[in-house]
Amino acid sequence: MLDIKNIKEANYSTLQLEGEVDASNSVELDGAIQSVLDEGIDRILVDARQLDYISSAGLGVFMSYLEEFQEKNIKLVIYGLQEKVYQVFVILGLDKLMAIKSSEEEAIEELK
Amino acid sequence: MIKLPNPNIGKVSLLVAILTWLALLFVDITRIFSSINQMESDVLPEISFILEIIFFITVYLFYNYQISKSENNDFLNLIWRGASTGLIASGVSLLISFFYTLLGDSKLASDQLLLNFFYHVNFALITLFLISCSLLWKHLILYQKSKNIVKQWQLFEILMLISMFFIFFNKNSLDYSFLFGLVIITIFSISLSFNLKWIPYLTFKEKWKSILFLVIIIIAASYLFGQLLSYSESSLILINLTDNLFLIGLFSFVFIYSIFSFLVTLFNLPTSSVFEQKLVEAINFQRLSQSIKPGQNENQVLDILIDSSMSAAYADAGWLEMLDDEGKSIFIHERFIDKEEVSKLHQHINGLKPFSNFDWEKPYNENKVFQGKIDFAPYKSALVVPLTTNQTTVGRLYLVKEVKDAFNKEMINIISTFVGQACISVENYRLLNEAIKNERYKEELKIAQRVQRSLLPDTLHHDQSFDIAAFSVAADEVGGDYYETYPLEERKFAVIIGDVSGKGTSAAFNMSQMKGIFHSLVQLKPSPSEFIKKANVALGLCLEKNHFITTSFYIIDTIHKNITYSRAGHCPTLYFKNSNQECDYLSIDGMGLGILRSALFEQYVHEKSFKYEKDDVMLLFTDGIIEAKNDDGIEFGYERLKNTLKKNAGLSPKQIQEKIIEEVYSFIGQTTAMDDDYSLVVIKFN
Repeated sequence: MLDIKNIKEANYSTLQLEGEVDASNSVELDGAIQSVLDEGIDRILVDARQLDYISSAGLGVFMSYLEEFQEKNIKLVIYGLQEKVYQVFVILGLDKLMAIKSSEEEAIEELK
Repeated sequence: MIKLPNPNIGKVSLLVAILTWLALLFVDITRIFSSINQMESDVLPEISFILEIIFFITVYLFYNYQISKSENNDFLNLIWRGASTGLIASGVSLLISFFYTLLGDSKLASDQLLLNFFYHVNFALITLFLISCSLLWKHLILYQKSKNIVKQWQLFEILMLISMFFIFFNKNSLDYSFLFGLVIITIFSISLSFNLKWIPYLTFKEKWKSILFLVIIIIAASYLFGQLLSYSESSLILINLTDNLFLIGLFSFVFIYSIFSFLVTLFNLPTSSVFEQKLVEAINFQRLSQSIKPGQNENQVLDILIDSSMSAAYADAGWLEMLDDEGKSIFIHERFIDKEEVSKLHQHINGLKPFSNFDWEKPYNENKVFQGKIDFAPYKSALVVPLTTNQTTVGRLYLVKEVKDAFNKEMINIISTFVGQACISVENYRLLNEAIKNERYKEELKIAQRVQRSLLPDTLHHDQSFDIAAFSVAADEVGGDYYETYPLEERKFAVIIGDVSGKGTSAAFNMSQMKGIFHSLVQLKPSPSEFIKKANVALGLCLEKNHFITTSFYIIDTIHKNITYSRAGHCPTLYFKNSNQECDYLSIDGMGLGILRSALFEQYVHEKSFKYEKDDVMLLFTDGIIEAKNDDGIEFGYERLKNTLKKNAGLSPKQIQEKIIEEVYSFIGQTTAMDDDYSLVVIKFN
């Protein structure tokens, strides 16, 4: 089960993830990111405090945007990852390529 | 023992009948001679009567046998046999009369011998005709028999048997007892004559034929009866064989049943088309309900549907509108109307109420019928019935007629039933096709599974310095886990474990790419970091942008007891050190293959090496093991794996692998389905 909320702030959008991202619903995560981008927003926060699990397919979604973000100078910051989920990012090496912060304040700071 | 030949009842009875008749004739001639010679006659009339009874019974047996043996027992054939016998009997009788007219007043005309001979011939023919007819009637009466009718018939037969012997009491005088017997037989005949269930089964044409045959029988019976009466008035006949209650009774029976049949058939003529129609409808219904045979398609069912409905409603034109795969209407099976007119008429009908109330999307079109007036010369009324399968409307049946309000309730009922049955057949056909298709997909997946299993190695390369065991199981038919070994040099081995992102078929394809890359690159004998870098470049060209592969690559040098390794985003290898009996994950940074597809990737590739010692154990695995969850959503986790290895490190690699898998399975429990692939490679050094 995955629940995604899109919360709009003044100069950024927050995607609030709740539940698990696996092969069956990674498309939803992709769609949520895509729809934020379609709105022309270039600052995205991902609130992962309620994210219990992410599979390789879910990681693949974040990974697939890395290049595009760099080219278009779009920033995406993940914060509040649970330790177990964070380890998945670390093992894969994604922590080196993505902005991952522990708190919302740090994440907003990173966006600037 | 003497073996008796199996007597043929038909032949024997025929022979006996002929002999009896000859005996009758002989007895009579004897009697004539004695009367001419004025000798004292010692031939009692009873002898003639007895012979007569024997003659009756043998003729009965003969016909009974003949009819039961005959295969062609349809009604018309039966009646024709009666009629033909009647024709022959009357014809012969007519010839005899004609012969006498020719003789005129000559002496021969009053010759007693000749007259008696012809009398006997007439008697025999009348008997044959009456008995054969009665037996034919028996067949007709006992069609769709019930116990009661059978009993009634048996009683009638007994009555007729008794009437044969009546002659001994009555001596051929027309007294009250004779009349009484005749009345009883007549009443019985009338009550039997109500059994006419065979008539509705005749077609219109057959009814006309049977009327003709029945008329022949009635005329023949009347003529022969008249003939018989004229004989009984003659004084030249010595023993009257024909004024016999049995024969007169049979006359009455044959005559009454013929009259009844004739009248009922005649009055059934106008309604016979209705009965035929119902029969056709029943057959059509059966044709519709038969599931479509292999090689046929639903088009055939629709073909039967339109034909059946047209004939049930006496429609002047009709067609089917079906939705194709894209939801567009197409017209098929036009009957008595061309395509151009269909599309015009279709537009006209759907512009009118109540037809315009129809909606394809409505879920309750099943069992709905639209009928009403239309004004499209020459058609004046229309009936539209939606075809639905699985609650979705797939098409419509259109019937039009040139008269107003031409569709009555019965027609609509039967057409609705036809439509319902056709829809069930079509639905069954579609379901069957789907089932066959699914079966084929399953087969394909099985083949994929076999192919993929063959991508994992059967034998793992090693030398006496270490033992190795491996295990892999996929959550779906095919999986994305990969491991392999390769001997780089005599005492140098490459070991790889990998996990493709995602699962199922796409993962399986990418896994086979990985295998290809491994086999190409190991030929170059690369160092672990070189391998990772080159594999990333290669995979970067072929992986979809949201896919990646994690892998760990090891080179085991058994001369130097040295292990060199690199990790590309794969879950860290667990290593058991025998010296301190401790288990630890080998920590090294690294990034998954395909995540960063540029030269920048190289800065994230690291390589480490260390010395192994005797009885150390190295456990390579995929994250399916770590992430295996039990019913409470708790993962097996790194810690549990560590403890399991520590506990079992003293065992052989194969045993260690089995213990770990056992532990994982007992942790997740029986009820939880695997949702990722599990793979393990266990290496133990000697």
